[in-house]
Order: sequence, then structure tokens, then C-alpha cells
Amino acid sequence: MPTVGERQRRIAPQGKYRITPRSGGIHEQDTYTPYDTQDCIGRNCCIVCRTRHPARPERLSGAADFGCRPVQYGGYNDRLARAFAPFLQEAIGQPLTIVNRGGGGALLGHSYFMQQPDDGYTILCTSAAPYLPLNILTQDAPFKIEDFHMINLPSRDYTLMATSAESDIQSVEDVVSRLKADAGALSIGIQPASADLVNMMLFADANGIDRSGLRLVTYDGGGPARNATAGGVVDIGMVGGQGFIPLGEKVRPLLVFDDASRDGWTSPNVTELNGADAQYVAGSQRGWGVHASLLEKHPDRYQTILAAIESASKDEAAIASLKAQDLATDWVGPEASNKALAATAKVMTQHIDLLKGT
Amino acid sequence: MLDFSALDGAYGILTSSWSAWLWLVPGLIIGLVFGAMPGISITMAMAIFLPITLYMDFLPAIVFLTSIYTGAGFGGSVPAVLMNIPGTSSAVATTFDGYPMARSGRHNQALGVALASSVIGTLSSYVLLLFLIVPVSIIVLKLGPLEMFAIAVWGLLLLGSLSGSSVWRGLLAGVFGVLLGTIGMNTAGFIRGTMGVPWLLDGIPAIPAMMGLLAASQLLNLINTTYLIENEDDRKISFAKIIEGVKLTLKYPTIIFRGATIGVIVGAIPGVGSSISNLISYSETRRNAPDGDSFGSGNPKGVIAAESANSSSEGGAMATMLALGIPGGGATAILLAAFAMHNIIGGPQFIAQNRDIVYAIIFSNFAQAIMLLFVGLVFVYLAASIVRVPLRFLIPSVLVVSTFGSYAILGSLAGPITLFIFAILGWAMVRYDYPVAATVVGLLLGSLLEQNIIRTWQISRGDIGYLLERPGAIFILLVMVTSVTLTAVTKHRRKKALAAKDAAES
Repeated sequence: MPTVGERQRRIAPQGKYRITPRSGGIHEQDTYTPYDTQDCIGRNCCIVCRTRHPARPERLSGAADFGCRPVQYGGYNDRLARAFAPFLQEAIGQPLTIVNRGGGGALLGHSYFMQQPDDGYTILCTSAAPYLPLNILTQDAPFKIEDFHMINLPSRDYTLMATSAESDIQSVEDVVSRLKADAGALSIGIQPASADLVNMMLFADANGIDRSGLRLVTYDGGGPARNATAGGVVDIGMVGGQGFIPLGEKVRPLLVFDDASRDGWTSPNVTELNGADAQYVAGSQRGWGVHASLLEKHPDRYQTILAAIESASKDEAAIASLKAQDLATDWVGPEASNKALAATAKVMTQHIDLLKGT
Repeated sequence: MLDFSALDGAYGILTSSWSAWLWLVPGLIIGLVFGAMPGISITMAMAIFLPITLYMDFLPAIVFLTSIYTGAGFGGSVPAVLMNIPGTSSAVATTFDGYPMARSGRHNQALGVALASSVIGTLSSYVLLLFLIVPVSIIVLKLGPLEMFAIAVWGLLLLGSLSGSSVWRGLLAGVFGVLLGTIGMNTAGFIRGTMGVPWLLDGIPAIPAMMGLLAASQLLNLINTTYLIENEDDRKISFAKIIEGVKLTLKYPTIIFRGATIGVIVGAIPGVGSSISNLISYSETRRNAPDGDSFGSGNPKGVIAAESANSSSEGGAMATMLALGIPGGGATAILLAAFAMHNIIGGPQFIAQNRDIVYAIIFSNFAQAIMLLFVGLVFVYLAASIVRVPLRFLIPSVLVVSTFGSYAILGSLAGPITLFIFAILGWAMVRYDYPVAATVVGLLLGSLLEQNIIRTWQISRGDIGYLLERPGAIFILLVMVTSVTLTAVTKHRRKKALAAKDAAES
């Protein structure tokens, strides 16, 4: 049992998260004005940060994927934007204002962002994949993938197949054998119209399982689906893996849908099970973007934002602070980010039939 | 069970920084003010102040945020009582008797009752939590769609109580509400009833719709009245009467205990929480009360039932957050984010490794509940002045504040548009004698019912035998049926006794 003093040092690290402007940095008062959306449990939200450039106010906006029921606030993108904003505003040289826009599987947030002037005064923080492709493929969105330019998507989620820690299912081989014998033998907790659903179908095809006989149980958000998995309400869950981390003790990982091990899960990867050319879709790719038209209209402003996001992403204090909150800060850059988004959009387009109603 | 070394650790944490407690009262006041503003949610209040906590140490940050949570939990009841505006979905049942009490000149008493019920409800829920945090969290995780469906049906039983003059009109209004609640994208990914309007993809925005149905429609009906309380002598603001309301609450420990238990258990269910618990508690209390027929016309027991349940739901939501790292609503998600800022990650291992912190949070909530009584007394005393404002000023002011609030919730015109449409609808329903409250309850429960019946069907493939695999659902249904049967038997006996007495007298 640590002493109270030791515990105090552990739970209240003095000054660890205080932000001290670097020399030459900005010393203006930080301002945040979050606007709540409804309690859109298990849906998505958009975050807009406005910042004041020397000339006039600028904005930064984004859509957040909320994998748990309190959807508009507290989801990954909301936390990412709030945690990253102090460092970004220091790098960009002006305070930011954060605005949330939620609803309709991020459609409303993305539409709102596109309605803002493409003058570099608005930056987006969103789960670009799968929501931009989903908006376009299934919701007649008034925009195209090419209308967005992602500057950095540091958070790359992946589908994890898992079961309750108390379940008699020990491995993915168990799942395959039972589903091969009877495709409806196991109930599968999943979100409709999601990358996870596409992965489930690809998994079924690759392992000779009748996809039409699967017993899918649909949830409005990743959080409820994970809870159902951990509580044994469904036999297996197919949900974003990062959200499973806090429930790690309550679940048994079965299969990671990626080509490398992730987050310390002890289960095999889909490429180990179904070969190096196994087909799968990446999960949520979250991070920062701007209007694609900004690059041609105001290349100087684009460069300012690009440099600010890069420098904030590489800031040691930012990395420490975000890492402590399980948030990603890796600098991936625009080229790799947009390439990854386009690749996901392409695979999802191939499986559009799966994404319209379950 | 209690871990005494962790209790000692909790005491150490709580006494390590006296300055942390300086944040308690400001937190309560912020919560009360924000909670009392129609449409401003608890989540919004907490999110606005979250960045400030980045610069605080752990204890003051948590004391401050949880104080906002506690304050806002009660704050929503003030407009519910005084203006029939449920600022949050958890204050819906408070309007049923709170507002009639206010209109009949018992506003002081109603506010006192609401405050005392909230304070005792919060305290009770944290006492329960101290002993039951682990079992509650285990139960929550095991709840499946069939159990959730049973809970939603339990909430629907309230429709029978809200029927007003005609049972059929009540049921029709309730079914209409349920249908409204199913608009949008359902859990299987199918879109219904949006008429191509993207704002309806997530369903009808519940809070603007409720404000329109309950408040705006009521205010429109008051246009020819001069004051909220017609009798001038009744328009007094009396501290003594507020205290009288507090004392009156203490006479009904059974109602409070029932409300607190329902609040903790239902509040712990992620995504359901206080919006359902207050309805179930009200419904059960009304059915079990000998004077059940007077509910809805200003019976303080109705306020006690609703308030003890919605405030104790806070404890339930905290149980889920602390024991599982699962936020049950926006407010607990903000708290989790605040924890993360201080390098504390919620989850199943959190409670095992940091039981002293969990106890410290529970004890700080005891202090908040006690302080809420004093801060709340001053707050309701000031808020009660609303009854002295002439309606020609009050009605436009409330409509403007509600419009702003509904805009703030969605950040778009969808909020005010929803408010306006439902205000007209509510006015028409009142005009033609349809119970508006039944539609509100239907709207709140509609999507919960539908989602869970779909999931039950998906899991069971329509096999009725699935029911036998879910003892939890059987238990909930049994409790519900027993409760309804006992009520019917009691009522029948009472009627018979009354008839026998009349016969003897004649």
C-alpha cells in the first residue's frame, strides 16, 4: 500500500500537464467555447475549433466518432481535439475555439464543415474513415472524399474480434469451426454499416462461412457493442480494438484485423489466419483536415496550418500529455493520411451492398 | 465489502489539500445555474469547465467537476417545478406534480420537497454505492436487450397514470409518442420517417421536443392569465414554507428509498440512466400510494418519487464509470476525460488498484450532497421569485431562453424548429384534451423499446425459449407483474371497504 504522499505524487503529478509557452510562443489567454450537441449516444460528433489569426478569427472544426454512449462529448475525437488544442494553438500562434457538431453518423458535422468558408480559418477533427466514405456511399452526402484534405490522421483503429473472458470460446479457430458447422451458431455484436461489418463478411468469405446465415446483433455504437461482448450478452463482438483497451480484463481477444499486432493483444492477426493477402478494411482513421480547395486558394495559410499541426504533433509535452490519455499524436503527414483514407474508401465502395441496412 | 485500508487512504487524499474544497461551492452554483437554464445540459456545463481542470491537481479537479454534476442534477428541477419545463429528460416526472403544486400557490413547498428529495436521494445512492459498487457494475454488464426491453415496458406502465380524463386518449397520445421516438436510423441501420431531413437521422431531438410539448404549450395556454399563481396572497416567497417542504419529505422514507434504489440500478445502465429511472419511480409510487388518484394534480409524493430517483441516478452512473470505465452518459464521459488528464485511466482494473480514490470520490459526493442542501436553499429561494413576475414578461422571456437553449443543444436551427413545431403540437393536444405527458414518455421510451426488441429478435432468432435463458428479464417482469397485481388487489379491497362503509352509513 503506497503512502498517502506517494499516492498524491502519483495521482496529482505537480505541473505535469501545465502548458508553458515556449520562448517566442503565444501568451494570449486560451479560450474554449464548446457547444454541446444532444446526448447522441453511439453516434458521431463534429468539433470545430475557431482560432484568431492576426487578421481575423479563424476556426477549426471536426467530427468525432463516439464509440460509447455519451456520444457527443467524451468520445475519441472530442477528447483528441480538447487535449491537442492547447499545443496546436501555441504552435499556430492564436487561441482556438472548439465547437462540436454531432449527429447522423458525422454527416451533419461534415456538412457543417463544408459549409464554412474554405479560407483556412476552419480546421476539422474527425474520424475521416469510415465516416466520410459512409456518408457518401449510404447517405447521399453533399460532398466527395476529394473535397477534404487530411493533414494528419495519427489514430488508426482496427477491428478486433473478441469474446467475454468467461466465454467457452478459446480461439478464433473455435469461432471458425462453429460458424462453418452452423453460420448462426454464435451471436455477433456489431455496428451496422461499419468497417467492422465489412471485415466480418470478408472473414466469413475467407473461411468458408455462409455470410447470409450469420446471426448479427446490431448496436448503435462501439461502446454498447463492447459492453455486450464483455458481459457475454453476445457470443462475440466485432468492434474497434482501441475502445476495448479499458475492458481488457473482461474480454478475450480472438483476432486482430491488421497485418501487425496491436495494443498488446495476444490474439493472431487476420494475415496470420488467412494469409498475407487476406482482405480487410482499416478501422477508424482519426485526425485533422482542411478543405481541399484551401491548398489552391490560400497555399500560404495551408502551409501555416500544416506546419503548426506538424510541430504540435512532435512537441514532447504534447506527446506526453496525449499519451497519458491514450490519444494518438504520431506525425503521419498529409500524403500517407490521404492515401490511407482513399484506400479505405475504395474497399468500402466495393462492399457498398453491405453498408445499406443490415 | 468495505476495504478499511482504502478508507484510510481515501481520508488521506481528502485531507491532503484543504484548498480543493474551495471548489465545491462554486461547482454547485455553476451546476445549479446551468442546470436551471432550459436546454443547457449537465454535459454542456461540465464540458465548458473541463479545460480549467487541466490546470488543477487531481483532487480539486474532481471535486469541482462532480460538484457541477451534483448541482446540475438538481438545477433542472427548478424550471420543471416553476414553469413546467424539464430542462433535462431526467426532470420530466418532476413536472407532473411539481408544476401543479406551483400553480396552486405551493411553489415554496414544492421546491423544498424537490431539494430535500435530491439531497437525500444523492446521499442514499452514494451509501449504496459504497457497499455495492462491484455487484452493481457486474449486473450492468450482464444486462441484455431483453432486460432493457422489460425496463422500457416498465416505464411505459406510467402511461396508464397519465391518461387524464380518457384512457383511450392517453394510450393514443402514448403510442403517438412511441412512434415519434422511432423516427431516424434504427439500430439495424434502416432509416425511417426522416422525410429526407438529415437532422432527423438521429431521431427527433428529445429535449427541444419536450420543452415544446410541456412548456411552450403550457405557456401558450396561460396567455390570458396575469400571473403564474392567480391568487395574490399565494404569491409569497417564504423560506419557512421551503423548510416545511424539506420536513415533509422526511415523512416518506419508503418513497425515497424506493426512488434511490431504482435510481442507482437503472442509472447505472449506460445510456438509459436518469431519464427512465424518474418515470419508473413515479409510476411505482403512484400505483402504491393510497391517494394515487391525486397524483398529477399537485401531490408532493410525486415530486419526492421523481427527484429521489433522478438524483440517485448520478451515483449509478458513477458506479459504471468507476468500476468499468464505461461512461453511462455525457457527464461521466467528461469525468473520465478529466481522470485521463491526470493520468488515471478508468476500467475494470481501476477500482482494484485505486479503491482509495473511488472512496475519496464517494465521500466528496457526501459532502456535496450536504452542501447542496444549503446552497440549494438559497438558490430556490431566489428562483421562486419567478412566480412574482407578470406573465406578460415571463412568457416571452421563457420562450426566448428555451429557444436559445434548444439552439445550444444542437448548435443549429434544428433545435428551435423542433421546439416551435412541438409547441404548436403540444398546444393543440392540450386544447383537445390529449395528455401531453403521455406523448413525452412515449417519445423518451420509443427508441429504447424498438432497439431492444430488435436486438432480442436478432439474438434469439424469434425463439421464445430465449426468455428462459435470461433470468434477469424474468425477474424484472415478475417484479413488474407482482407490483401491478398487488396494486389492483389493494385498490379492489379499498373500493369494497368504501362501498361497505357507505352501505352501513345509509
